Amino acid sequence: MTTLIASLRTTLSGYIKYRGREGHYSFLLHRITGLGTLLFLAIHIVDTATVYWMPELYDHAIAIYRLPPFLLGEIGLVFCVIYHGVNGLRIIYQDMVKPSSWTIHTQRRAARWTLALSILFWLPAAFVMFRTLLAHL
Amino acid sequence: MEVTLRVFRYNPEAGRTKPSYDSWTLQDVDPTDRVLDLLEHVKGYHDGTLSFRRSCAHGVCGSDAMRINGRNYLACKVLVRDLNSTTITVEPILGLKVLKDLIVDMEPFFESYRSVMPYMVSDEVPADGKERLQSIEQRERFDDTTKCILCAACTTSCPSFWGDGKYVGPATIVNAHRFIFDSRDQAAGERLEILNEQQGVWRCRTAFNCTEACPREIHITQAIAEVKHAITSGNVD
Repeated sequence: MTTLIASLRTTLSGYIKYRGREGHYSFLLHRITGLGTLLFLAIHIVDTATVYWMPELYDHAIAIYRLPPFLLGEIGLVFCVIYHGVNGLRIIYQDMVKPSSWTIHTQRRAARWTLALSILFWLPAAFVMFRTLLAHL
Repeated sequence: MEVTLRVFRYNPEAGRTKPSYDSWTLQDVDPTDRVLDLLEHVKGYHDGTLSFRRSCAHGVCGSDAMRINGRNYLACKVLVRDLNSTTITVEPILGLKVLKDLIVDMEPFFESYRSVMPYMVSDEVPADGKERLQSIEQRERFDDTTKCILCAACTTSCPSFWGDGKYVGPATIVNAHRFIFDSRDQAAGERLEILNEQQGVWRCRTAFNCTEACPREIHITQAIAEVKHAITSGNVD
Protein backbone atom coordinates (compact mmCIF):
# COMPACT_ATOMS: atom_id res chain seq x y z
CA MET A 1 0.00 0.00 0.00
CA THR A 2 2.85 2.39 0.94
CA THR A 3 4.60 1.53 -2.33
CA LEU A 4 1.41 2.20 -4.27
CA ILE A 5 0.96 5.62 -2.64
CA ALA A 6 4.64 6.48 -3.21
CA SER A 7 4.34 5.42 -6.85
CA LEU A 8 1.14 7.47 -7.29
CA ARG A 9 2.85 10.49 -5.71
CA THR A 10 5.88 10.13 -8.05
CA THR A 11 3.62 9.74 -11.07
CA LEU A 12 1.46 12.78 -10.31
CA SER A 13 4.48 14.85 -9.33
CA GLY A 14 6.13 13.92 -12.64
CA TYR A 15 2.99 14.59 -14.69
CA ILE A 16 2.59 18.05 -13.17
CA LYS A 17 6.11 19.22 -12.40
CA TYR A 18 8.26 17.66 -15.12
CA ARG A 19 9.06 20.32 -17.70
CA GLY A 20 8.76 18.22 -20.81
CA ARG A 21 8.20 19.49 -24.28
CA GLU A 22 5.36 18.88 -26.76
CA GLY A 23 5.57 15.10 -26.27
CA HIS A 24 5.00 15.34 -22.53
CA TYR A 25 1.97 17.60 -22.90
CA SER A 26 0.45 15.61 -25.77
CA PHE A 27 0.89 12.47 -23.61
CA LEU A 28 -0.94 14.21 -20.75
CA LEU A 29 -3.70 15.51 -23.03
CA HIS A 30 -4.06 12.03 -24.53
CA ARG A 31 -4.49 10.58 -21.03
CA ILE A 32 -6.95 13.26 -19.88
CA THR A 33 -9.06 13.07 -23.05
CA GLY A 34 -9.03 9.26 -22.85
CA LEU A 35 -10.13 9.26 -19.22
CA GLY A 36 -12.77 11.93 -19.97
CA THR A 37 -14.23 9.84 -22.78
CA LEU A 38 -14.10 6.69 -20.65
CA LEU A 39 -15.90 8.45 -17.79
CA PHE A 40 -18.64 9.64 -20.13
CA LEU A 41 -19.02 6.18 -21.69
CA ALA A 42 -19.30 4.56 -18.26
CA ILE A 43 -22.01 7.01 -17.15
CA HIS A 44 -23.75 6.73 -20.52
CA ILE A 45 -23.90 2.92 -20.35
CA VAL A 46 -25.41 3.11 -16.85
CA ASP A 47 -28.02 5.73 -17.76
CA THR A 48 -28.99 3.93 -20.97
CA ALA A 49 -29.39 0.69 -19.01
CA THR A 50 -31.99 2.37 -16.78
CA VAL A 51 -34.43 2.56 -19.73
CA TYR A 52 -35.13 -1.18 -19.22
CA TRP A 53 -35.64 -1.35 -15.50
CA MET A 54 -36.57 2.20 -14.47
CA PRO A 55 -37.84 4.28 -17.46
CA GLU A 56 -38.73 7.29 -15.29
CA LEU A 57 -35.11 7.44 -14.08
CA TYR A 58 -33.96 7.34 -17.70
CA ASP A 59 -36.21 10.33 -18.57
CA HIS A 60 -34.79 12.14 -15.56
CA ALA A 61 -31.21 11.42 -16.72
CA ILE A 62 -31.97 12.74 -20.20
CA ALA A 63 -33.47 15.88 -18.65
CA ILE A 64 -30.24 16.37 -16.68
CA TYR A 65 -28.21 16.08 -19.90
CA ARG A 66 -30.15 19.05 -21.28
CA LEU A 67 -29.01 21.33 -18.46
CA PRO A 68 -26.47 23.97 -19.54
CA PRO A 69 -23.51 22.59 -17.50
CA PHE A 70 -23.96 19.20 -19.19
CA LEU A 71 -24.33 20.76 -22.63
CA LEU A 72 -21.07 22.61 -21.96
CA GLY A 73 -19.51 19.32 -20.85
CA GLU A 74 -20.65 17.71 -24.11
CA ILE A 75 -18.76 20.34 -26.08
CA GLY A 76 -15.67 19.34 -24.08
CA LEU A 77 -16.45 15.68 -24.67
CA VAL A 78 -16.43 16.18 -28.44
CA PHE A 79 -12.95 17.71 -28.13
CA CYS A 80 -11.83 14.74 -26.02
CA VAL A 81 -12.99 12.24 -28.64
CA ILE A 82 -11.50 14.18 -31.57
CA TYR A 83 -8.12 14.84 -29.93
CA HIS A 84 -7.80 11.29 -28.61
CA GLY A 85 -8.61 9.93 -32.07
CA VAL A 86 -6.33 12.23 -34.08
CA ASN A 87 -3.43 11.88 -31.63
CA GLY A 88 -3.92 8.11 -31.60
CA LEU A 89 -3.61 8.04 -35.39
CA ARG A 90 -0.42 10.16 -35.15
CA ILE A 91 1.11 7.73 -32.66
CA ILE A 92 0.14 4.68 -34.76
CA TYR A 93 1.65 6.29 -37.86
CA GLN A 94 4.91 7.31 -36.17
CA ASP A 95 5.33 4.14 -34.15
CA MET A 96 4.12 1.43 -36.50
CA VAL A 97 4.51 2.91 -40.00
CA LYS A 98 7.43 5.34 -39.86
CA PRO A 99 9.64 4.95 -36.75
CA SER A 100 12.30 7.14 -38.40
CA SER A 101 9.93 10.10 -37.82
CA TRP A 102 10.64 9.92 -34.07
CA THR A 103 13.14 12.75 -34.29
CA ILE A 104 12.91 15.78 -32.01
CA HIS A 105 12.08 18.18 -34.83
CA THR A 106 9.43 15.99 -36.51
CA GLN A 107 7.83 14.89 -33.27
CA ARG A 108 7.46 18.44 -31.94
CA ARG A 109 5.95 19.58 -35.23
CA ALA A 110 3.63 16.55 -35.44
CA ALA A 111 2.38 17.11 -31.87
CA ARG A 112 1.60 20.78 -32.64
CA TRP A 113 -0.15 19.88 -35.90
CA THR A 114 -2.20 17.25 -34.12
CA LEU A 115 -3.51 19.82 -31.64
CA ALA A 116 -4.19 22.35 -34.41
CA LEU A 117 -6.06 19.78 -36.54
CA SER A 118 -8.10 18.60 -33.56
CA ILE A 119 -9.18 22.15 -32.76
CA LEU A 120 -10.01 22.70 -36.44
CA PHE A 121 -12.23 19.59 -36.52
CA TRP A 122 -13.79 20.48 -33.18
CA LEU A 123 -14.70 24.13 -33.86
CA PRO A 124 -17.66 23.54 -36.26
CA ALA A 125 -19.19 20.99 -33.87
CA ALA A 126 -18.54 23.27 -30.90
CA PHE A 127 -20.22 26.16 -32.75
CA VAL A 128 -23.41 24.17 -33.46
CA MET A 129 -23.50 22.77 -29.91
CA PHE A 130 -22.90 26.18 -28.39
CA ARG A 131 -25.88 27.55 -30.33
CA THR A 132 -28.03 24.77 -28.85
CA LEU A 133 -26.67 25.64 -25.41
CA LEU A 134 -27.65 29.30 -25.85
CA ALA A 135 -31.16 28.20 -26.91
CA HIS A 136 -31.50 26.32 -23.60
CA LEU A 137 -30.59 29.32 -21.45
CA MET B 1 25.58 37.54 -13.03
CA GLU B 2 23.84 36.59 -9.79
CA VAL B 3 22.18 33.19 -9.57
CA THR B 4 20.02 31.67 -6.84
CA LEU B 5 20.74 27.95 -6.57
CA ARG B 6 17.94 25.98 -4.91
CA VAL B 7 18.85 22.39 -4.10
CA PHE B 8 16.76 19.46 -2.85
CA ARG B 9 18.06 18.18 0.51
CA TYR B 10 17.37 14.90 2.27
CA ASN B 11 19.65 13.21 4.78
CA PRO B 12 17.94 10.90 7.26
CA GLU B 13 21.28 10.06 8.97
CA ALA B 14 21.71 13.72 9.92
CA GLY B 15 18.11 14.23 10.99
CA ARG B 16 16.86 15.75 7.71
CA THR B 17 14.16 13.13 7.38
CA LYS B 18 11.76 15.35 5.48
CA PRO B 19 12.73 16.49 2.01
CA SER B 20 13.36 20.24 1.86
CA TYR B 21 15.22 22.80 -0.22
CA ASP B 22 18.28 24.94 0.58
CA SER B 23 19.08 28.09 -1.36
CA TRP B 24 22.33 29.94 -2.00
CA THR B 25 22.78 33.21 -3.81
CA LEU B 26 25.92 32.96 -5.92
CA GLN B 27 27.72 36.05 -7.22
CA ASP B 28 29.88 36.40 -10.33
CA VAL B 29 28.44 33.39 -12.08
CA ASP B 30 29.53 33.20 -15.68
CA PRO B 31 26.74 32.34 -18.15
CA THR B 32 29.01 29.63 -19.54
CA ASP B 33 29.44 28.00 -16.13
CA ARG B 34 27.89 24.57 -15.88
CA VAL B 35 25.37 23.66 -13.18
CA LEU B 36 27.95 21.19 -11.89
CA ASP B 37 30.35 24.12 -11.33
CA LEU B 38 27.72 25.81 -9.15
CA LEU B 39 27.16 22.64 -7.13
CA GLU B 40 30.93 22.19 -6.69
CA HIS B 41 31.18 25.83 -5.55
CA VAL B 42 28.45 25.34 -2.94
CA LYS B 43 30.02 22.11 -1.71
CA GLY B 44 33.48 23.68 -1.55
CA TYR B 45 32.64 27.08 -0.03
CA HIS B 46 29.17 26.97 1.56
CA ASP B 47 28.05 23.52 2.66
CA GLY B 48 30.37 20.51 2.53
CA THR B 49 27.53 18.15 3.40
CA LEU B 50 25.82 18.65 0.05
CA SER B 51 25.92 15.29 -1.74
CA PHE B 52 25.75 14.52 -5.42
CA ARG B 53 27.40 12.14 -7.88
CA ARG B 54 30.01 13.25 -10.38
CA SER B 55 32.98 11.55 -11.89
CA CYS B 56 34.42 12.61 -15.22
CA ALA B 57 32.50 15.92 -15.31
CA HIS B 58 32.65 15.92 -19.11
CA GLY B 59 29.46 14.15 -20.18
CA VAL B 60 31.00 10.73 -20.60
CA CYS B 61 30.58 8.78 -17.36
CA GLY B 62 26.87 9.54 -16.88
CA SER B 63 27.09 10.03 -13.10
CA ASP B 64 25.43 13.40 -12.67
CA ALA B 65 21.97 13.12 -14.22
CA MET B 66 19.68 15.45 -12.25
CA ARG B 67 16.39 17.27 -12.62
CA ILE B 68 17.40 20.86 -13.30
CA ASN B 69 14.62 23.43 -13.51
CA GLY B 70 12.15 20.59 -13.89
CA ARG B 71 13.76 18.45 -16.58
CA ASN B 72 16.54 15.89 -16.77
CA TYR B 73 20.04 16.99 -17.75
CA LEU B 74 23.61 16.03 -17.01
CA ALA B 75 24.79 18.74 -14.59
CA CYS B 76 28.19 18.71 -16.31
CA LYS B 77 26.72 19.45 -19.74
CA VAL B 78 24.08 22.10 -19.09
CA LEU B 79 25.26 25.70 -19.03
CA VAL B 80 23.67 28.39 -16.86
CA ARG B 81 22.79 30.44 -19.96
CA ASP B 82 20.91 27.47 -21.47
CA LEU B 83 18.42 27.56 -18.60
CA ASN B 84 17.28 31.15 -19.25
CA SER B 85 16.70 31.76 -15.56
CA THR B 86 18.52 33.32 -12.63
CA THR B 87 16.96 30.81 -10.26
CA ILE B 88 18.12 27.24 -10.76
CA THR B 89 16.38 24.41 -8.95
CA VAL B 90 18.22 21.10 -8.74
CA GLU B 91 16.41 17.93 -7.70
CA PRO B 92 17.19 14.20 -7.87
CA ILE B 93 15.95 12.21 -10.88
CA LEU B 94 12.42 10.86 -10.45
CA GLY B 95 11.31 7.28 -9.89
CA LEU B 96 14.38 5.96 -8.04
CA LYS B 97 14.68 6.01 -4.25
CA VAL B 98 16.51 9.06 -2.91
CA LEU B 99 19.37 8.02 -0.61
CA LYS B 100 20.83 11.43 0.22
CA ASP B 101 20.34 14.88 -1.33
CA LEU B 102 20.78 14.36 -5.09
CA ILE B 103 21.94 10.75 -4.84
CA VAL B 104 19.46 8.04 -5.81
CA ASP B 105 19.64 4.26 -5.57
CA MET B 106 20.60 3.23 -9.11
CA GLU B 107 20.48 -0.52 -8.42
CA PRO B 108 16.94 -1.13 -9.81
CA PHE B 109 18.04 0.70 -12.98
CA PHE B 110 21.13 -1.51 -13.42
CA GLU B 111 19.17 -4.64 -12.50
CA SER B 112 16.80 -3.88 -15.36
CA TYR B 113 19.78 -3.20 -17.66
CA ARG B 114 21.31 -6.59 -16.81
CA SER B 115 18.02 -8.37 -17.53
CA VAL B 116 18.40 -8.00 -21.32
CA MET B 117 21.89 -9.53 -21.51
CA PRO B 118 23.80 -6.39 -22.53
CA TYR B 119 26.77 -8.29 -23.96
CA MET B 120 27.45 -10.12 -27.19
CA VAL B 121 26.35 -13.74 -27.34
CA SER B 122 27.87 -15.89 -30.07
CA ASP B 123 29.02 -19.50 -30.15
CA GLU B 124 30.11 -19.27 -33.77
CA VAL B 125 33.82 -19.56 -34.46
CA PRO B 126 34.87 -16.79 -36.91
CA ALA B 127 35.85 -17.99 -40.38
CA ASP B 128 39.47 -16.97 -39.89
CA GLY B 129 39.44 -18.03 -36.25
CA LYS B 130 40.14 -14.45 -35.14
CA GLU B 131 37.60 -11.77 -36.10
CA ARG B 132 33.85 -11.50 -36.65
CA LEU B 133 33.70 -9.26 -39.70
CA GLN B 134 30.93 -6.77 -40.29
CA SER B 135 30.09 -4.46 -43.21
CA ILE B 136 29.82 -0.69 -42.73
CA GLU B 137 26.03 -0.95 -43.24
CA GLN B 138 25.72 -3.73 -40.63
CA ARG B 139 27.67 -1.60 -38.12
CA GLU B 140 25.59 1.48 -38.89
CA ARG B 141 22.38 -0.37 -38.12
CA PHE B 142 22.96 -0.06 -34.36
CA ASP B 143 25.46 2.79 -34.28
CA ASP B 144 23.11 5.25 -32.56
CA THR B 145 22.37 2.99 -29.59
CA THR B 146 26.05 2.32 -28.87
CA LYS B 147 26.28 5.90 -27.55
CA CYS B 148 24.38 5.24 -24.29
CA ILE B 149 26.28 6.14 -21.11
CA LEU B 150 23.69 4.69 -18.68
CA CYS B 151 23.03 8.02 -16.95
CA ALA B 152 19.32 7.15 -16.48
CA ALA B 153 18.17 10.60 -17.69
CA CYS B 154 15.83 8.88 -20.17
CA THR B 155 14.39 6.22 -17.89
CA THR B 156 13.67 8.67 -15.07
CA SER B 157 11.92 11.10 -17.44
CA CYS B 158 9.51 8.39 -18.58
CA PRO B 159 5.90 8.63 -17.27
CA SER B 160 5.50 4.84 -17.59
CA PHE B 161 8.55 4.34 -15.34
CA TRP B 162 7.22 6.84 -12.77
CA GLY B 163 4.01 4.81 -12.66
CA ASP B 164 5.68 1.43 -12.36
CA GLY B 165 9.37 1.08 -11.49
CA LYS B 166 9.31 -2.50 -12.78
CA TYR B 167 8.99 -1.28 -16.37
CA VAL B 168 12.37 -1.99 -17.98
CA GLY B 169 12.58 1.61 -19.19
CA PRO B 170 14.08 3.31 -22.25
CA ALA B 171 17.76 2.84 -21.33
CA THR B 172 17.39 -0.93 -21.07
CA ILE B 173 15.60 -1.09 -24.42
CA VAL B 174 18.29 1.08 -26.03
CA ASN B 175 20.99 -1.29 -24.76
CA ALA B 176 19.02 -4.32 -25.92
CA HIS B 177 18.62 -2.66 -29.34
CA ARG B 178 22.40 -2.29 -29.54
CA PHE B 179 22.78 -6.09 -29.51
CA ILE B 180 19.50 -7.16 -31.15
CA PHE B 181 20.48 -5.45 -34.41
CA ASP B 182 24.16 -6.44 -34.24
CA SER B 183 24.75 -8.95 -37.08
CA ARG B 184 27.39 -10.79 -34.98
CA ASP B 185 25.05 -11.47 -32.05
CA GLN B 186 22.96 -14.64 -31.77
CA ALA B 187 20.68 -13.92 -28.80
CA ALA B 188 18.26 -11.44 -30.40
CA GLY B 189 15.36 -13.88 -30.00
CA GLU B 190 15.90 -14.20 -26.24
CA ARG B 191 16.12 -10.45 -25.78
CA LEU B 192 12.98 -9.88 -27.85
CA GLU B 193 11.18 -12.45 -25.72
CA ILE B 194 12.15 -10.57 -22.54
CA LEU B 195 11.08 -7.25 -24.02
CA ASN B 196 7.77 -8.72 -25.21
CA GLU B 197 6.75 -9.40 -21.61
CA GLN B 198 4.36 -7.29 -19.55
CA GLN B 199 7.08 -4.91 -18.32
CA GLY B 200 8.74 -4.68 -21.72
CA VAL B 201 8.50 -2.38 -24.74
CA TRP B 202 4.69 -2.29 -24.84
CA ARG B 203 4.68 -0.10 -21.73
CA CYS B 204 6.17 2.70 -23.83
CA ARG B 205 3.50 5.37 -24.37
CA THR B 206 5.65 7.42 -26.76
CA ALA B 207 5.65 10.47 -24.44
CA PHE B 208 9.05 11.26 -26.00
CA ASN B 209 10.56 12.68 -22.77
CA CYS B 210 13.37 10.11 -23.08
CA THR B 211 14.56 11.37 -26.47
CA GLU B 212 14.31 14.99 -25.31
CA ALA B 213 16.31 14.21 -22.14
CA CYS B 214 19.09 12.09 -23.64
CA PRO B 215 22.42 13.94 -23.29
CA ARG B 216 23.86 11.78 -26.07
CA GLU B 217 21.04 12.64 -28.51
CA ILE B 218 20.13 9.01 -29.10
CA HIS B 219 16.87 8.53 -31.03
CA ILE B 220 15.43 6.50 -28.16
CA THR B 221 11.74 6.45 -29.15
CA GLN B 222 12.78 5.35 -32.64
CA ALA B 223 14.92 2.55 -31.18
CA ILE B 224 11.98 1.40 -29.03
CA ALA B 225 9.69 1.44 -32.09
CA GLU B 226 12.25 -0.64 -34.01
CA VAL B 227 12.31 -3.21 -31.20
CA LYS B 228 8.48 -3.31 -31.29
CA HIS B 229 8.68 -3.97 -35.04
CA ALA B 230 11.26 -6.70 -34.52
CA ILE B 231 8.95 -8.38 -31.98
CA THR B 232 5.90 -8.28 -34.25
CA SER B 233 7.72 -9.19 -37.48
CA GLY B 234 10.52 -11.40 -36.12
CA ASN B 235 12.85 -9.48 -38.43
CA VAL B 236 16.08 -8.07 -36.96
CA ASP B 237 17.74 -6.86 -40.17
